Amino acid sequence: MTDATPDQIDGAAAKTRLDRLRAGLKRRHAKEARFKWFGRLAIAAAMVFLAVLLVRIVEQGHTAFYTHTVTVPVYMDPARIDRAYPQGSNFEQLAAEQQLARWGIQDDDTGGVSRDMKALFSSELKFVAADLVAKRGDVIGETVPLAVPLSDDADLFLKGEISKSTPQDQRRINDRQIAWLERMQAEGVVGSHFNTALFTNGDSTQPELAGVLGAVVGSALMLMVTALIAIPLGVGAAIWLEEFAPKNRLTDIIEVNINNLAAVPSIVYGLLGLALFINWMHLPRASPIVGGLVLALMALPTLVIATRSALKAVPPSIREAALAMGASKTQTVFSHVLPLAMPGVMTGAIISMAHALGETAPLLLIGMVSFVPGVPHAIDQPVGALPSLIYIWENASERAFHERTAAAIIVLLVFMIIMNAAAIILRRRFERRW
Amino acid sequence: MKFRIFRSAEDQTGAGPADPTEAPRMGGQVLPSASADEQVEPKGDAVVEARREDATRAAGETVVSTPASGPIKIAARDVSVFYSGKQALYDVSLDIPDKTVTALIGPSGCGKSTFLRTMNRMNDTISGAKVTGRIAMDDEDINDRSIDPVLLRARVGMVFQRPNPFPKSIYENVAYGPKIHGLVTSKSEMDGVVESALKRAGLWDEVADRLQSSAVGLSGGQQQRLVIARAIAVNPEVILMDEPCSALDPIATARIEELIDELRERFCIVIVTHSMAQAARVSQRTAFFHMGRLVETGDTEDIFQNPRERRTLDYITGRFG
Repeated sequence: MTDATPDQIDGAAAKTRLDRLRAGLKRRHAKEARFKWFGRLAIAAAMVFLAVLLVRIVEQGHTAFYTHTVTVPVYMDPARIDRAYPQGSNFEQLAAEQQLARWGIQDDDTGGVSRDMKALFSSELKFVAADLVAKRGDVIGETVPLAVPLSDDADLFLKGEISKSTPQDQRRINDRQIAWLERMQAEGVVGSHFNTALFTNGDSTQPELAGVLGAVVGSALMLMVTALIAIPLGVGAAIWLEEFAPKNRLTDIIEVNINNLAAVPSIVYGLLGLALFINWMHLPRASPIVGGLVLALMALPTLVIATRSALKAVPPSIREAALAMGASKTQTVFSHVLPLAMPGVMTGAIISMAHALGETAPLLLIGMVSFVPGVPHAIDQPVGALPSLIYIWENASERAFHERTAAAIIVLLVFMIIMNAAAIILRRRFERRW
Repeated sequence: MKFRIFRSAEDQTGAGPADPTEAPRMGGQVLPSASADEQVEPKGDAVVEARREDATRAAGETVVSTPASGPIKIAARDVSVFYSGKQALYDVSLDIPDKTVTALIGPSGCGKSTFLRTMNRMNDTISGAKVTGRIAMDDEDINDRSIDPVLLRARVGMVFQRPNPFPKSIYENVAYGPKIHGLVTSKSEMDGVVESALKRAGLWDEVADRLQSSAVGLSGGQQQRLVIARAIAVNPEVILMDEPCSALDPIATARIEELIDELRERFCIVIVTHSMAQAARVSQRTAFFHMGRLVETGDTEDIFQNPRERRTLDYITGRFG
């Protein structure tokens, strides 16, 4: 040290300082690069999971969107049709026997052959024929071609879901039926087309007749009730808490409770709904009114929190400007603060509605797992809902319901995507206005 | 641009419809026609003495004050403000004359903005704020139960530090006040009010052809003039300005200052400013605040040329703050 001139000392010090800075810089850059890669990995993992999910659902569900029909000529035998009550006539047996006769196949003593043939047609045949007879009495005594869906098992075989290589006793369609189906195909009477029944029918025990319309309508009715109750209540509560409420112990307690309620498992809301709306208020079980009320209770905390954060994000200068102009508190809130918070409020509302749409657990407790055929049209009737329909179909024993489960999931996802898209569009539109 | 240090009442060059009968009277009130030297003369000895004693005196015991001439618009007596129990303003008594620009100066956190906000009861909007003392506007206590703050704010307009136009059209911004207070009855009347307010704020020529476009698209200086137009559209009696130029560039600042000078013909203006030069340029009366207390108040010229308190002198000469 004693030999070094001050310049040299300074120079050396500056050099080590620079070295340290460089070394530190390297570490910092490495850390940044590492973090970037973690981020990319996280996104990639999420994308992979999403892709696997979607591919799996589409793979499983796409076959539900088309179905097979067979066109069979049926001689409307006056001897076997009850004119007064066509539904009472056994059209399926009639058609099966006539089909066997056309092919010159003899039925056995127990009727097992015609039973096998009958099993290829959907039970819809009976209703198609009965409707025709009821509408046009003159078809009796004539031969009319009837286009009817194939039964679910026959349909699955034609879709390739049931393999011929499986031993006969392990599949729901036997070798004889397979041979007949192939013969029908060769004759060109089997056609495949878009499965409209899936979208125009309610639930059914027959997979080939089951559709999601009942559940879609039920979900829509329920969501309407939820929106009508939750949005005004939630937004109103949020506005009061954020803009008007005094900041004291009571409002603190309310705030903490709202945050806690948002984290309560949804099944608890189901229990609450069961106790409150069904057992105590005696509202009809499994009805959209009860479902909507339960989902509204569940959506409220989320909605309040989303609205409050949207209101908080409005710059205080706007409030000051309006107040200093002599606007009353109410005028300030409703003509300045709320319009600016609207995109956030709308997004919160739609996201919480989408959440409510997909909620299953509370619905199970208020009786929405029951089988509801047909399409509902009133809010006090038992209905199904999309998520509970998925649950019911998934548990059904018929194999054809499995592809329909995936199809129902696709329908639910499409609903969600539409709602989220609406949220984005509304948000953009409102933001542009300001 | 006019950047003179003192602007006496006589050399008003401001445009606008100056009332010829009013001008001489104002001149007499705001600043005695005498020059600064003459003014100091009679008080000379007292001033020097006061300043000498100043250093030994406990802060805020007495306020050095020369009375304002002319009619008093707002008289504050022993005004204290507490934020959640913490006192921000201590016993401020200040007379604010009409048709005058009064500047409130002082270092950050000295209570000048707090005092400004007591005059239109904007402190009411802060939870936990409490105001004591009496503030009388035209001999009427504005904190009285019978006074509705909404009505008070129609009489006392306010301009904030950062331009805060509503994110609506220029027209809607100016029309908002008259609309909510029900001051106009027809669309054509409203058009007239909007036009005259924008003209008085010196913004008309720049925005006349785009009244329906968004106010947020204007420049900072234009926005601040729009906000002033919005405030004067309801024809208030008092305009409070809280550092109206602190977010603006020098050219925009000069325009606002000119505008303030023009506006004082019709309004009582109270302006909080951080800039000594601005206080000197635009105001006729100055009040110096320090540590939540009013230290000294008097004619602007007196305060800047002959401050009688040591702290005032230190502040205006830049020794602190």
